[in-house]
Amino acid sequence: MIGRDSRIVIGGVGVAGGFGCGVAALEQALRGGEVRPGRMTLPMPDGPVEIPAFMSDTTPLKDFIPLRTLRRVDHFSRLALLGAHLALADAGLPEAERAGLGVVIASGHGATGITFAFQDSFINDGDICASPTHFANSVHNSAAANISILLGATGPSLTVTQFHLSVPSALLAARQWLLEGRVERVLFGAVDELSRLTGHYWHRQHAHFAGIPSPLHTGAETAVPGEGAAFLLLSRAQDADAPGYCTLDSVTVGRKLPPRPLAPPVGLLVLGADGVPETAARYAAAAAGSRIACYTPLYGSMPPGPAFDIASTALALRSGSVFATPGGSSCDFPATVVPGGTPLGPGPAGILTLDDDDGHALVMLGRIRQPA
Amino acid sequence: MTTTEKLKKILVEELNLEELTPADIDDDAPLFGEGLGLDSLDAVELVVLIQKHFGLEIKDMDEGRTAFQSVRALSAYIDGRLNG
Repeated sequence: MIGRDSRIVIGGVGVAGGFGCGVAALEQALRGGEVRPGRMTLPMPDGPVEIPAFMSDTTPLKDFIPLRTLRRVDHFSRLALLGAHLALADAGLPEAERAGLGVVIASGHGATGITFAFQDSFINDGDICASPTHFANSVHNSAAANISILLGATGPSLTVTQFHLSVPSALLAARQWLLEGRVERVLFGAVDELSRLTGHYWHRQHAHFAGIPSPLHTGAETAVPGEGAAFLLLSRAQDADAPGYCTLDSVTVGRKLPPRPLAPPVGLLVLGADGVPETAARYAAAAAGSRIACYTPLYGSMPPGPAFDIASTALALRSGSVFATPGGSSCDFPATVVPGGTPLGPGPAGILTLDDDDGHALVMLGRIRQPA
Repeated sequence: MTTTEKLKKILVEELNLEELTPADIDDDAPLFGEGLGLDSLDAVELVVLIQKHFGLEIKDMDEGRTAFQSVRALSAYIDGRLNG
Protein backbone atom coordinates (compact mmCIF):
# COMPACT_ATOMS: atom_id res chain seq x y z
CA MET A 1 0.00 0.00 0.00
CA ILE A 2 1.55 3.30 -1.04
CA GLY A 3 1.14 6.02 1.59
CA ARG A 4 0.13 9.62 0.98
CA ASP A 5 3.60 11.07 1.55
CA SER A 6 5.58 9.57 -1.32
CA ARG A 7 8.67 11.66 -0.75
CA ILE A 8 11.90 9.74 -0.23
CA VAL A 9 14.78 11.37 1.61
CA ILE A 10 18.50 10.86 1.01
CA GLY A 11 19.75 10.82 4.60
CA GLY A 12 23.34 9.65 4.14
CA VAL A 13 25.94 9.56 1.37
CA GLY A 14 28.99 7.28 1.18
CA VAL A 15 31.38 7.59 -1.74
CA ALA A 16 34.78 6.23 -2.73
CA GLY A 17 36.42 6.92 -6.06
CA GLY A 18 39.43 8.41 -7.79
CA PHE A 19 38.89 11.66 -5.85
CA GLY A 20 39.28 9.95 -2.48
CA CYS A 21 36.99 8.56 0.15
CA GLY A 22 33.94 10.08 1.86
CA VAL A 23 31.57 13.00 1.39
CA ALA A 24 34.22 15.53 2.44
CA ALA A 25 36.59 14.30 -0.29
CA LEU A 26 33.85 14.50 -2.91
CA GLU A 27 32.87 17.98 -1.79
CA GLN A 28 36.52 19.06 -1.87
CA ALA A 29 36.80 17.71 -5.43
CA LEU A 30 33.59 19.50 -6.45
CA ARG A 31 34.85 22.78 -5.01
CA GLY A 32 38.38 22.31 -6.40
CA GLY A 33 37.06 21.37 -9.82
CA GLU A 34 39.86 19.01 -10.81
CA VAL A 35 41.00 15.47 -10.07
CA ARG A 36 44.01 14.12 -11.95
CA PRO A 37 43.59 10.55 -13.19
CA GLY A 38 46.06 7.95 -11.91
CA ARG A 39 47.53 5.06 -13.88
CA MET A 40 46.50 1.44 -14.13
CA THR A 41 49.11 -1.15 -15.12
CA LEU A 42 47.94 -4.06 -17.26
CA PRO A 43 50.07 -7.16 -17.85
CA MET A 44 50.27 -7.84 -21.60
CA PRO A 45 52.18 -10.46 -23.64
CA ASP A 46 54.68 -7.82 -24.84
CA GLY A 47 55.15 -6.25 -21.43
CA PRO A 48 53.03 -4.12 -19.12
CA VAL A 49 50.85 -1.35 -20.52
CA GLU A 50 49.68 1.68 -18.54
CA ILE A 51 46.35 3.38 -19.07
CA PRO A 52 44.99 6.52 -17.37
CA ALA A 53 42.34 5.58 -14.81
CA PHE A 54 40.51 6.85 -11.74
CA MET A 55 41.34 4.09 -9.23
CA SER A 56 39.79 3.81 -5.79
CA ASP A 57 41.67 2.89 -2.61
CA THR A 58 39.80 0.65 -0.16
CA THR A 59 42.39 0.88 2.64
CA PRO A 60 40.05 3.05 4.80
CA LEU A 61 37.73 0.04 5.07
CA LYS A 62 39.99 -1.27 7.84
CA ASP A 63 38.60 1.54 10.03
CA PHE A 64 35.23 -0.23 9.90
CA ILE A 65 36.03 -3.95 9.54
CA PRO A 66 39.06 -5.95 10.84
CA LEU A 67 41.46 -7.07 8.11
CA ARG A 68 41.03 -10.71 9.14
CA THR A 69 37.28 -10.47 8.48
CA LEU A 70 37.97 -8.99 5.05
CA ARG A 71 40.39 -11.65 3.86
CA ARG A 72 37.78 -13.50 1.78
CA VAL A 73 36.26 -10.29 0.43
CA ASP A 74 37.41 -9.27 -3.06
CA HIS A 75 38.11 -5.72 -4.28
CA PHE A 76 34.62 -5.32 -5.76
CA SER A 77 32.86 -6.14 -2.50
CA ARG A 78 35.41 -4.10 -0.53
CA LEU A 79 34.48 -1.07 -2.60
CA ALA A 80 30.81 -1.74 -1.88
CA LEU A 81 31.42 -2.29 1.85
CA LEU A 82 33.38 0.94 2.07
CA GLY A 83 30.60 2.93 0.38
CA ALA A 84 27.99 1.23 2.59
CA HIS A 85 29.81 1.96 5.85
CA LEU A 86 30.49 5.55 4.85
CA ALA A 87 26.81 6.15 4.01
CA LEU A 88 25.63 4.71 7.33
CA ALA A 89 28.25 6.69 9.24
CA ASP A 90 27.29 9.85 7.36
CA ALA A 91 23.61 9.31 8.23
CA GLY A 92 24.49 8.49 11.84
CA LEU A 93 22.36 5.33 11.75
CA PRO A 94 22.99 3.37 14.95
CA GLU A 95 24.03 -0.26 14.62
CA ALA A 96 20.87 -1.34 16.45
CA GLU A 97 18.69 0.07 13.67
CA ARG A 98 20.35 -1.80 10.82
CA ALA A 99 18.38 -5.01 11.30
CA GLY A 100 15.52 -4.33 8.88
CA LEU A 101 17.63 -2.45 6.39
CA GLY A 102 17.02 -3.33 2.73
CA VAL A 103 20.07 -3.47 0.47
CA VAL A 104 19.85 -2.65 -3.25
CA ILE A 105 23.01 -2.71 -5.37
CA ALA A 106 23.48 -1.48 -8.92
CA SER A 107 26.44 -2.67 -10.98
CA GLY A 108 27.15 -2.54 -14.68
CA HIS A 109 29.80 -5.27 -14.78
CA GLY A 110 29.72 -7.04 -11.40
CA ALA A 111 32.73 -8.67 -9.77
CA THR A 112 34.76 -9.11 -12.96
CA GLY A 113 38.15 -9.50 -11.26
CA ILE A 114 37.24 -12.49 -9.11
CA THR A 115 34.87 -14.02 -11.69
CA PHE A 116 37.62 -14.22 -14.28
CA ALA A 117 40.19 -15.35 -11.69
CA PHE A 118 37.78 -18.20 -10.94
CA GLN A 119 37.45 -19.06 -14.62
CA ASP A 120 41.24 -18.82 -15.08
CA SER A 121 41.70 -21.35 -12.30
CA PHE A 122 39.59 -23.84 -14.28
CA ILE A 123 41.68 -23.30 -17.38
CA ASN A 124 45.09 -23.28 -15.70
CA ASP A 125 44.71 -25.94 -13.01
CA GLY A 126 41.57 -27.93 -13.84
CA ASP A 127 38.13 -27.73 -12.28
CA ILE A 128 39.20 -29.69 -9.21
CA CYS A 129 41.43 -26.73 -8.23
CA ALA A 130 38.74 -24.07 -8.54
CA SER A 131 38.78 -21.89 -5.44
CA PRO A 132 35.59 -22.04 -3.35
CA THR A 133 36.30 -18.51 -2.09
CA HIS A 134 36.58 -17.19 -5.63
CA PHE A 135 33.30 -18.91 -6.46
CA ALA A 136 31.50 -17.34 -3.48
CA ASN A 137 32.66 -13.89 -4.54
CA SER A 138 31.78 -14.40 -8.20
CA VAL A 139 28.04 -14.89 -7.79
CA HIS A 140 25.72 -12.14 -8.91
CA ASN A 141 24.59 -10.89 -5.49
CA SER A 142 28.01 -11.17 -3.77
CA ALA A 143 28.43 -7.49 -2.81
CA ALA A 144 24.89 -7.25 -1.44
CA ALA A 145 25.46 -10.51 0.47
CA ASN A 146 28.73 -9.31 1.97
CA ILE A 147 27.08 -6.04 3.02
CA SER A 148 24.06 -7.78 4.52
CA ILE A 149 26.21 -10.25 6.47
CA LEU A 150 28.92 -7.88 7.68
CA LEU A 151 26.54 -5.02 8.54
CA GLY A 152 23.87 -7.24 10.05
CA ALA A 153 21.27 -5.95 7.59
CA THR A 154 18.60 -8.65 7.60
CA GLY A 155 16.12 -7.00 5.23
CA PRO A 156 15.77 -8.06 1.59
CA SER A 157 18.71 -7.60 -0.76
CA LEU A 158 18.78 -7.20 -4.52
CA THR A 159 21.36 -6.59 -7.23
CA VAL A 160 20.31 -4.95 -10.50
CA THR A 161 22.47 -4.97 -13.62
CA GLN A 162 21.46 -2.97 -16.66
CA PHE A 163 24.84 -1.59 -17.69
CA HIS A 164 24.62 2.24 -18.08
CA LEU A 165 21.08 2.29 -16.69
CA SER A 166 21.84 0.06 -13.68
CA VAL A 167 21.63 2.93 -11.18
CA PRO A 168 18.21 4.34 -12.16
CA SER A 169 16.80 0.83 -12.65
CA ALA A 170 17.93 -0.21 -9.18
CA LEU A 171 16.64 3.06 -7.73
CA LEU A 172 13.19 2.22 -9.07
CA ALA A 173 13.21 -0.95 -6.97
CA ALA A 174 14.59 0.80 -3.88
CA ARG A 175 11.98 3.53 -4.11
CA GLN A 176 9.18 1.02 -4.56
CA TRP A 177 10.27 -0.98 -1.49
CA LEU A 178 10.01 2.19 0.57
CA LEU A 179 6.70 3.35 -0.89
CA GLU A 180 5.15 -0.07 -0.31
CA GLY A 181 6.40 -0.05 3.27
CA ARG A 182 8.35 -3.27 2.68
CA VAL A 183 11.28 -1.72 4.54
CA GLU A 184 11.78 1.49 6.49
CA ARG A 185 15.18 2.20 5.02
CA VAL A 186 17.14 1.13 1.98
CA LEU A 187 20.89 1.18 1.70
CA PHE A 188 21.22 1.85 -2.01
CA GLY A 189 24.59 1.62 -3.68
CA ALA A 190 26.29 1.49 -7.04
CA VAL A 191 29.65 -0.17 -7.52
CA ASP A 192 32.01 -1.28 -10.27
CA GLU A 193 35.68 -2.16 -10.27
CA LEU A 194 38.45 -1.68 -12.79
CA SER A 195 39.79 -5.20 -12.95
CA ARG A 196 42.44 -6.53 -15.32
CA LEU A 197 39.59 -7.67 -17.54
CA THR A 198 37.75 -4.33 -17.75
CA GLY A 199 41.08 -2.49 -17.98
CA HIS A 200 42.11 -4.71 -20.88
CA TYR A 201 38.76 -4.07 -22.58
CA TRP A 202 39.24 -0.31 -22.17
CA HIS A 203 42.79 -0.54 -23.53
CA ARG A 204 41.54 -2.30 -26.65
CA GLN A 205 38.37 -0.28 -27.28
CA HIS A 206 39.08 3.29 -26.20
CA ALA A 207 41.56 6.08 -26.75
CA HIS A 208 44.20 6.46 -24.02
CA PHE A 209 43.20 9.99 -23.13
CA ALA A 210 45.57 11.14 -20.40
CA GLY A 211 44.19 14.59 -19.59
CA ILE A 212 41.17 15.86 -17.68
CA PRO A 213 37.97 14.54 -19.29
CA SER A 214 36.00 17.16 -21.19
CA PRO A 215 32.59 15.57 -21.82
CA LEU A 216 30.79 18.78 -22.84
CA HIS A 217 33.02 19.00 -25.92
CA THR A 218 31.72 16.27 -28.15
CA GLY A 219 34.30 16.33 -30.94
CA ALA A 220 36.84 13.91 -29.47
CA GLU A 221 36.95 11.05 -27.01
CA THR A 222 38.15 12.33 -23.64
CA ALA A 223 36.83 9.53 -21.45
CA VAL A 224 38.97 8.08 -18.64
CA PRO A 225 37.78 4.85 -16.99
CA GLY A 226 36.91 4.90 -13.32
CA GLU A 227 35.98 2.60 -10.47
CA GLY A 228 34.31 3.21 -7.16
CA ALA A 229 31.21 3.00 -5.02
CA ALA A 230 28.49 5.54 -4.30
CA PHE A 231 25.95 4.68 -1.60
CA LEU A 232 22.83 6.47 -0.35
CA LEU A 233 20.75 5.80 2.73
CA LEU A 234 17.12 6.24 1.68
CA SER A 235 14.00 6.44 3.83
CA ARG A 236 10.47 7.78 3.57
CA ALA A 237 10.27 11.40 4.58
CA GLN A 238 7.85 10.52 7.38
CA ASP A 239 10.37 8.03 8.86
CA ALA A 240 13.50 10.12 8.39
CA ASP A 241 15.49 10.80 11.58
CA ALA A 242 17.09 13.98 10.25
CA PRO A 243 16.40 16.43 7.42
CA GLY A 244 18.94 14.79 5.13
CA TYR A 245 20.44 16.08 1.88
CA CYS A 246 17.46 16.23 -0.46
CA THR A 247 14.38 14.35 -1.58
CA LEU A 248 14.32 11.68 -4.27
CA ASP A 249 11.17 12.80 -6.06
CA SER A 250 10.93 10.52 -9.07
CA VAL A 251 12.81 8.04 -11.22
CA THR A 252 11.89 7.35 -14.83
CA VAL A 253 13.58 4.88 -17.14
CA GLY A 254 12.55 4.55 -20.77
CA ARG A 255 13.49 3.95 -24.36
CA LYS A 256 12.83 7.41 -25.77
CA LEU A 257 14.35 10.74 -24.84
CA PRO A 258 12.22 12.70 -22.37
CA PRO A 259 10.27 15.61 -23.90
CA ARG A 260 11.91 19.03 -23.74
CA PRO A 261 11.48 21.21 -21.81
CA LEU A 262 11.46 18.70 -19.00
CA ALA A 263 8.31 18.58 -16.87
CA PRO A 264 8.45 19.49 -14.06
CA PRO A 265 10.95 22.18 -15.10
CA VAL A 266 14.37 21.59 -13.66
CA GLY A 267 16.57 24.30 -12.21
CA LEU A 268 19.64 22.23 -13.00
CA LEU A 269 20.15 19.25 -15.28
CA VAL A 270 23.20 17.16 -14.35
CA LEU A 271 24.45 15.17 -17.32
CA GLY A 272 26.05 11.75 -17.08
CA ALA A 273 28.08 12.52 -20.22
CA ASP A 274 31.54 11.03 -19.73
CA GLY A 275 33.49 11.80 -22.89
CA VAL A 276 32.54 8.59 -24.72
CA PRO A 277 31.67 9.44 -28.34
CA GLU A 278 28.80 6.91 -28.59
CA THR A 279 26.63 8.96 -26.21
CA ALA A 280 28.02 12.49 -26.68
CA ALA A 281 25.64 13.54 -29.49
CA ARG A 282 22.63 12.12 -27.64
CA TYR A 283 23.50 14.07 -24.49
CA ALA A 284 23.92 17.21 -26.58
CA ALA A 285 20.49 16.72 -28.15
CA ALA A 286 18.77 15.87 -24.86
CA ALA A 287 20.29 18.81 -22.97
CA ALA A 288 19.76 21.49 -25.62
CA GLY A 289 18.27 24.62 -24.06
CA SER A 290 18.78 23.39 -20.49
CA ARG A 291 20.81 24.77 -17.60
CA ILE A 292 23.37 22.04 -17.13
CA ALA A 293 26.32 20.80 -15.08
CA CYS A 294 28.50 17.70 -15.46
CA TYR A 295 30.74 16.19 -12.77
CA THR A 296 32.00 12.98 -14.39
CA PRO A 297 35.53 14.44 -14.90
CA LEU A 298 35.94 14.04 -11.12
CA TYR A 299 35.33 10.27 -11.02
CA GLY A 300 35.60 8.96 -14.57
CA SER A 301 33.60 6.81 -16.90
CA MET A 302 31.83 3.86 -15.26
CA PRO A 303 28.32 2.41 -14.94
CA PRO A 304 27.89 3.66 -11.32
CA GLY A 305 28.54 7.21 -12.56
CA PRO A 306 24.86 8.26 -12.14
CA ALA A 307 25.05 7.44 -8.41
CA PHE A 308 28.04 9.80 -8.12
CA ASP A 309 26.00 12.36 -10.08
CA ILE A 310 23.18 11.94 -7.55
CA ALA A 311 25.61 12.28 -4.63
CA SER A 312 27.13 15.43 -6.14
CA THR A 313 23.70 16.94 -6.82
CA ALA A 314 22.54 16.04 -3.31
CA LEU A 315 25.52 17.98 -1.92
CA ALA A 316 24.64 20.95 -4.13
CA LEU A 317 20.97 20.85 -3.05
CA ARG A 318 21.96 20.78 0.60
CA SER A 319 24.40 23.67 0.18
CA GLY A 320 21.88 25.62 -1.91
CA SER A 321 24.20 26.43 -4.79
CA VAL A 322 25.65 24.81 -7.87
CA PHE A 323 29.18 23.38 -8.02
CA ALA A 324 31.10 24.48 -11.09
CA THR A 325 31.42 21.99 -13.91
CA PRO A 326 35.08 20.87 -14.01
CA GLY A 327 36.87 22.26 -17.02
CA GLY A 328 34.96 25.54 -17.25
CA SER A 329 31.61 26.81 -18.45
CA SER A 330 31.89 26.22 -22.18
CA CYS A 331 30.24 23.47 -24.18
CA ASP A 332 29.88 22.87 -27.89
CA PHE A 333 26.09 22.44 -27.98
CA PRO A 334 23.31 24.94 -27.23
CA ALA A 335 22.97 24.64 -23.47
CA THR A 336 23.90 26.89 -20.54
CA VAL A 337 26.61 25.56 -18.23
CA VAL A 338 25.58 26.97 -14.86
CA PRO A 339 28.50 28.79 -13.17
CA GLY A 340 29.71 27.57 -9.79
CA GLY A 341 28.11 29.34 -6.83
CA THR A 342 24.84 30.06 -8.64
CA PRO A 343 22.00 29.73 -6.11
CA LEU A 344 19.65 26.83 -6.76
CA GLY A 345 16.02 27.84 -7.09
CA PRO A 346 13.09 26.00 -5.55
CA GLY A 347 12.66 23.74 -8.59
CA PRO A 348 14.00 20.19 -8.68
CA ALA A 349 17.32 19.11 -10.11
CA GLY A 350 17.44 16.35 -12.70
CA ILE A 351 20.13 13.74 -13.29
CA LEU A 352 20.06 12.54 -16.89
CA THR A 353 21.62 9.22 -17.89
CA LEU A 354 21.73 7.88 -21.45
CA ASP A 355 22.99 4.57 -22.69
CA ASP A 356 24.63 3.94 -26.07
CA ASP A 357 21.43 2.52 -27.54
CA ASP A 358 18.20 4.51 -27.12
CA GLY A 359 17.64 4.18 -23.39
CA HIS A 360 17.43 7.07 -20.99
CA ALA A 361 16.75 7.71 -17.32
CA LEU A 362 15.87 10.83 -15.40
CA VAL A 363 16.18 11.04 -11.61
CA MET A 364 14.58 14.10 -10.01
CA LEU A 365 15.87 15.42 -6.69
CA GLY A 366 14.24 18.19 -4.65
CA ARG A 367 15.44 20.61 -2.01
CA ILE A 368 14.42 20.04 1.57
CA ARG A 369 12.75 23.14 2.88
CA GLN A 370 14.19 24.13 6.21
CA PRO A 371 11.60 24.86 8.90
CA ALA A 372 10.93 28.59 9.28
CA MET B 1 62.61 -23.35 -0.47
CA THR B 2 61.56 -26.05 2.00
CA THR B 3 58.04 -27.43 2.08
CA THR B 4 57.45 -25.60 5.37
CA GLU B 5 58.54 -22.28 3.90
CA LYS B 6 56.45 -22.83 0.77
CA LEU B 7 53.41 -23.75 2.87
CA LYS B 8 53.69 -20.61 5.00
CA LYS B 9 53.95 -18.47 1.87
CA ILE B 10 50.87 -20.17 0.40
CA LEU B 11 48.91 -19.67 3.62
CA VAL B 12 49.68 -15.96 3.79
CA GLU B 13 49.26 -15.17 0.11
CA GLU B 14 46.42 -17.44 -0.95
CA LEU B 15 44.33 -17.26 2.22
CA ASN B 16 44.96 -13.48 2.33
CA LEU B 17 46.30 -13.38 5.88
CA GLU B 18 47.20 -9.74 5.27
CA GLU B 19 48.23 -9.01 8.85
CA LEU B 20 50.83 -11.82 8.89
CA THR B 21 54.12 -12.60 7.16
CA PRO B 22 55.31 -16.18 6.64
CA ALA B 23 57.89 -15.61 9.37
CA ASP B 24 55.11 -14.86 11.87
CA ILE B 25 53.65 -18.36 11.57
CA ASP B 26 54.76 -20.79 14.28
CA ASP B 27 55.49 -24.26 12.86
CA ASP B 28 53.57 -25.92 15.69
CA ALA B 29 50.64 -23.52 16.08
CA PRO B 30 47.23 -25.09 15.34
CA LEU B 31 45.97 -24.08 11.89
CA PHE B 32 42.32 -24.03 12.98
CA GLY B 33 40.57 -22.38 15.91
CA GLU B 34 43.14 -20.79 18.19
CA GLY B 35 46.51 -20.37 16.54
CA LEU B 36 46.16 -19.26 12.93
CA GLY B 37 42.37 -19.03 13.31
CA LEU B 38 41.43 -20.78 10.06
CA ASP B 39 37.92 -22.23 9.65
CA SER B 40 36.08 -24.92 7.74
CA LEU B 41 35.98 -22.94 4.47
CA ASP B 42 39.75 -22.54 4.74
CA ALA B 43 40.04 -26.32 5.11
CA VAL B 44 38.33 -26.76 1.73
CA GLU B 45 40.51 -24.03 0.25
CA LEU B 46 43.61 -25.69 1.71
CA VAL B 47 42.74 -29.05 0.11
CA VAL B 48 42.50 -27.23 -3.25
CA LEU B 49 45.78 -25.37 -2.68
CA ILE B 50 47.68 -28.55 -1.81
CA GLN B 51 46.42 -30.19 -4.98
CA LYS B 52 47.34 -27.08 -7.01
CA HIS B 53 50.83 -26.50 -5.58
CA PHE B 54 51.97 -30.04 -4.67
CA GLY B 55 49.81 -32.20 -6.95
CA LEU B 56 48.44 -34.14 -3.96
CA GLU B 57 44.79 -35.01 -3.44
CA ILE B 58 43.60 -35.36 0.14
CA LYS B 59 40.59 -37.65 -0.04
CA ASP B 60 40.75 -39.39 3.33
CA MET B 61 39.14 -37.25 6.07
CA ASP B 62 41.16 -38.91 8.85
CA GLU B 63 44.39 -38.32 6.96
CA GLY B 64 43.42 -34.69 6.44
CA ARG B 65 42.49 -34.20 10.07
CA THR B 66 45.95 -35.35 11.17
CA ALA B 67 47.78 -33.41 8.45
CA PHE B 68 45.92 -30.17 9.19
CA GLN B 69 47.04 -30.00 12.83
CA SER B 70 49.86 -27.53 12.14
CA VAL B 71 52.29 -26.34 9.48
CA ARG B 72 54.85 -28.89 10.72
CA ALA B 73 52.30 -31.74 10.51
CA LEU B 74 51.12 -30.67 7.05
CA SER B 75 54.67 -30.29 5.81
CA ALA B 76 55.57 -33.77 7.06
CA TYR B 77 52.44 -35.19 5.42
CA ILE B 78 53.30 -33.59 2.07
CA ASP B 79 56.96 -34.64 2.19
CA GLY B 80 55.92 -38.15 3.22
CA ARG B 81 53.57 -38.54 0.26
CA LEU B 82 55.93 -36.95 -2.22
CA ASN B 83 58.87 -39.06 -1.11
CA GLY B 84 56.96 -42.18 -0.13
